[in-house]
Amino acid sequence: MVLDNLGSSLRGSLDKLQGKSRLSEEDVEEIVKEIQRSLLSADVDVSLVMDLSSSIKERATEEEPPGGTSARDHVLKIVYEELVGLIGESTEIPLEPQTIMLAGLQGSGKTTTAAKMAWWFSKKGLRPAVVQTDTFRPGAYDQAKQMCERAEVDFYGDPDEEDPVKIAREGLEETDDADVHIVDTAGRHALEDSLIDEIEDIESVVNPDLSLLVLDAAIGQGAKEQAREFDDSIGIGGVVITKLDGTAKGGGALTAVNETDSSIAFLGTGETVQDIERFEPNGFISRLLGMGDLKQLSERV
Amino acid sequence: GRLKRAAAFATGKIIIEEEDLEDPLWELEMALLESDVEMTVAEEILQTIRDKMIGETRAQVDTTGELVSEALHDALYDVISVGQFDFDQRVREAEKPVTIIFTGVNGVGKTTSIAKMARYFEERGLSTILANGDTYRAGANEQIQKHADNLDKKLISHEQGGDPAAVLYDGVEFAEAHDIDVVLGDTAGRLHTSNDLMAQLEKIDRVVDPDMTLFVDEAVAGQDAVQRSKKFNDAAEIDGTILTKADADSNGGAAISIAYVTGKPILFLGVGQDYDDIERFDPERMVNRLLGEEE
Ligand SMILES: Nc1nc2c(ncn2[C@@H]2O[C@H](COP(=O)(O)OP(=O)(O)OP(=O)(O)O)[C@@H](O)[C@H]2O)c(=O)[nH]1
Ligand SMILES: Nc1nc2c(ncn2[C@@H]2O[C@H](COP(=O)(O)OP(=O)(O)OP(=O)(O)O)[C@@H](O)[C@H]2O)c(=O)[nH]1
Ligand SMILES: [Mg+2]
Ligand SMILES: [Mg+2]
Repeated sequence: MVLDNLGSSLRGSLDKLQGKSRLSEEDVEEIVKEIQRSLLSADVDVSLVMDLSSSIKERATEEEPPGGTSARDHVLKIVYEELVGLIGESTEIPLEPQTIMLAGLQGSGKTTTAAKMAWWFSKKGLRPAVVQTDTFRPGAYDQAKQMCERAEVDFYGDPDEEDPVKIAREGLEETDDADVHIVDTAGRHALEDSLIDEIEDIESVVNPDLSLLVLDAAIGQGAKEQAREFDDSIGIGGVVITKLDGTAKGGGALTAVNETDSSIAFLGTGETVQDIERFEPNGFISRLLGMGDLKQLSERV
Repeated sequence: GRLKRAAAFATGKIIIEEEDLEDPLWELEMALLESDVEMTVAEEILQTIRDKMIGETRAQVDTTGELVSEALHDALYDVISVGQFDFDQRVREAEKPVTIIFTGVNGVGKTTSIAKMARYFEERGLSTILANGDTYRAGANEQIQKHADNLDKKLISHEQGGDPAAVLYDGVEFAEAHDIDVVLGDTAGRLHTSNDLMAQLEKIDRVVDPDMTLFVDEAVAGQDAVQRSKKFNDAAEIDGTILTKADADSNGGAAISIAYVTGKPILFLGVGQDYDDIERFDPERMVNRLLGEEE
């Protein structure tokens, strides 16, 4: 596969450094180029890749590797640290009563994620409820309802109501018993002004503790503008990356995290309600670069 | 060599050398990546340009950058105009019913595109029925039923968990018995990494033997467009692509990636969520849009 090749070409140029303790300028150039390639083919924003690679280059040239460390491990450690610095830790999700709203592009996986998160909270011993406010997409009500049945969690929706704001208000009242409210919204994108206004209205009624942007792992360079617009309108506190069971690397999420100054909360890895994981930086970075466990190496250095 | 260069200079021409191309090509590569053209595809396109231009002469009035841009326009056009055919004519002239199956990864807009195509054919005087081969996803039957009701079309569907090939087959039989022109067959979204589901798609293709298979992908997709279009084309050979959500995205480099790896034309653009939001794909316009030459 193309992407695996990229990972292995990065490994290849790193392997050439095996045994070396000092890096020549050309060594650094070559590695930085490979890292750029890996990140660009993972859909990380082009300008963000350039920023990242210039800090990596600067540090690799200037910093003295700690005694006994090979040049290769030193570079890998720098790369890992720069990426961790950008991604940070998983979004904090306290195990207590709260309201979480989901937003994102059409088809990104919001409704599925709402049911998955509800399932996740129920496994943690909390009582969740999903409120479906999508009045636009045909079958949205049935989809969310059936997914919630599969997750065995409470559900509120109203297939006959056309006003999502009203559904949100009534849904929160009707599911008052629940600890955690997860509010699903219709899909929309940054250029749909009236739909952006609509989600602002929903947000002001729901008053969520956290709004999550749900992003398809395969989203390309558009992630930046989309993330910025959603952040401006409702304030994004975290990102969910879906469809990571495919081959897409999810670099758009890195862009979105950078753009919204937030972090990644959950990963979606399949179509059933159990296919959800909390975000974990090390695995994600290894996937982005197409390489193995970098954290372990970075700790060893 | 130096002599040739001097001779060219004397006649007001300059020979283009490898190093002259380095900067303009690097800039173009970044521009293509910013437009979501997949990296290996971008590199192959740039390699074509490099091969074509090295050793060429240029008039002193043109910069190498300008010439590279022109060459890029042509190279992109070559890729993206691949295999274009008159879709309406092909459907009109084919023996009825014409069965069209829609494939693609999860959530790209297959079902919505089917609804749009039902409207599209109606406007061209062709009758359609919908057949729901998505017997898997929650709410799939309700979703497409609602579309069928809105558009006043008949839907053939089975219970959730049923055999998708069987539903689609029923659709074709119904169309034959009722003189319907076009069968629009939906399939469940699946990722190309799922061997079981890709095998199921092959089976659908074998059993139903559609007249056309349209691959649906979204304009907002990035580098992965190459992988999935290739895998879908391998599992159930496609006749063309519908690129949805073009309204969400100003780049659409996925169109280049998909046309390049499948060698099949992009036929339609989805430009919104309403039934009329579908357009015939225009390669020249897409190239201009990619190169920022629009309007
Ligand atoms: N393979 C896989 N499929 C997923 C994942 N998450 C969601 N999906 C699928 O992606 C498709 C779209 O998911 P939805 O939950 O309907 O997306 P949405 O954002 O609610 O869509 P709209 O409401 O139309 O905007 C469905 O086919 C889901 O089954 C995932 O993590 N992996
Ligand atoms: N903005 C925009 N949204 C679109 C377009 N085409 C489809 N959508 C939306 O994308 C979402 C997913 O569309 P579906 O038709 O359900 O996608 P699908 O491929 O059938 O999804 P699965 O069956 O779950 O794999 C819905 O919210 C659609 O309204 C388009 O061209 N533009
Ligand atoms: Mg939804
Ligand atoms: Mg569908």
